[in-house]
Amino acid sequence: MSNTLKQTPKPLWKCGKCGGELKRGSVKASYLGNDFEVEELKCLNCGLVLIDEELALGKMFEVEQSLEDK
Amino acid sequence: MEIIDSTLLSETQSLCPECLRLTSAQRVVKDDKVYLVKRCPEHGEYRTLLWRGNPQWDSWVRPTIPTPPKECFTHVEKGCPFDCGLCEDHYKTTCTALLEVTQRCNLNCRYCFANAGSELDEPSLEVIEGWYKNVLVASGPVNIQLSGGEPTLRNDLPEILDMGRKLGFKFIQLNTNGLRLAEDPIFLSQLKEAGLSSVFLQFDGTEDQIYQSIRGRSLFDLKVKAIGNCGEHGIGVVLVPTLIPGINTHNIGGIIKFALENNPTVRGVHFQPVSYFGRIPQEPSDQDRITLPEVIQAIEEQTDGLIKADNLKPHNGRCSFSGNFNRQLDGSLKPIVNSSCCNGPERADELARKTRTFVARQWSGAEKFSIQAPCSNSWDNLIQQLKTYAFSISGMAFQDVWNVDIERLKNCCIHVVSPEGTLIPFCAYNLTDKQGHSIYRRER
Repeated sequence: MSNTLKQTPKPLWKCGKCGGELKRGSVKASYLGNDFEVEELKCLNCGLVLIDEELALGKMFEVEQSLEDK
Repeated sequence: MEIIDSTLLSETQSLCPECLRLTSAQRVVKDDKVYLVKRCPEHGEYRTLLWRGNPQWDSWVRPTIPTPPKECFTHVEKGCPFDCGLCEDHYKTTCTALLEVTQRCNLNCRYCFANAGSELDEPSLEVIEGWYKNVLVASGPVNIQLSGGEPTLRNDLPEILDMGRKLGFKFIQLNTNGLRLAEDPIFLSQLKEAGLSSVFLQFDGTEDQIYQSIRGRSLFDLKVKAIGNCGEHGIGVVLVPTLIPGINTHNIGGIIKFALENNPTVRGVHFQPVSYFGRIPQEPSDQDRITLPEVIQAIEEQTDGLIKADNLKPHNGRCSFSGNFNRQLDGSLKPIVNSSCCNGPERADELARKTRTFVARQWSGAEKFSIQAPCSNSWDNLIQQLKTYAFSISGMAFQDVWNVDIERLKNCCIHVVSPEGTLIPFCAYNLTDKQGHSIYRRER
């Protein structure tokens, strides 16, 4: 995951909201009141962040599970 | 005993310490303390400290909607706590089932629920298989704790573990004093191979004087060795101090500091305020008890604010608390916020499920951590950071015949499997009258 910065310099996605270019950058993620900074693709123009299905159902879900308490 | 200037909070039921008769009881407030007051028509009045200081009793609630067990092995005849098995009036399904695989022990402690025994009256593998199967019927593949006596005295412990795993139990923990784990790494590797998830390590402090007082010998170096060996085998360790006023309550911060130094092998600390079982001729005084709010305050004070009282939340009613953290690279602790807790009544079976899931995840061995360069803020690193450096602080107050509250007993989700294969709430199983007579545990 972390190596994708070097391997894919030009993302295939364009912003669905404004058509702007996406670039990997720091994004604030929050779950159940817990905040974290992660690197993710976001629009240089409007800041919209790309979360694809694989990420949402994979690593993001894994983070959510590890924050769920008893 | 007379209570002056006290206010009635609520009513419940309890037991007479002398004859175990069911009595009505009142929870009353005096100053910053809450007492349980009860009167046996034959043996008189008893007043026992339940709660002292902040967080206040009223603020410490986690209401649950009762959900009876899937399968009841006993029926209600005499009323709680005399029909345990579990019966249909029990509020909560099992979080952890305890299997006492031996009554033998290699220590002779002042404060112990277990009683001594010999190899001859140990349950056979066949009997233990029956216990596992009964747990499956009553509660499903819940978390298992192998206990005793000292379970590592059984050489066939790996077989017992293997059997449990094959029957479908995913999280099996060992409740141990750690002596054999320190001295016999080959045995430990067999336990790991057989599927041991976690060690619930009796750990009363970081000073040998404490072990001398409670366990009769110096044990700190052995505990350190046991933890080291568990770390080498990827087995998670939970430190379990029995807190006794005047003996080790000054060392609460020291225990947490030691635990953090040994994280990620040490997954957390689980404090158990002392309770009084067996033959106790003299009624324990207020000074003989440390209540949950006092433990919580001591945690904040003795860690110099590294852990705040506010980070610790009620778990199972007034029986327990817990707080979860993530240890950062600079040594600080980031509290994991639990906004899903305490926002209204929860179903008891759902709470038990959440507890099982959390315990299995948090108390199992940590994955080896490898930071991935060059991007330190990747999802992979976040996942590893959250999992590997997770750290929990929790505590559970057991009930004895003086402070037993039948409402709390009905809400218990830690169940001991009796020799007959029924499930008995932990405090009901270990409870004795002041002469040491038990309702459920076989006497020797």
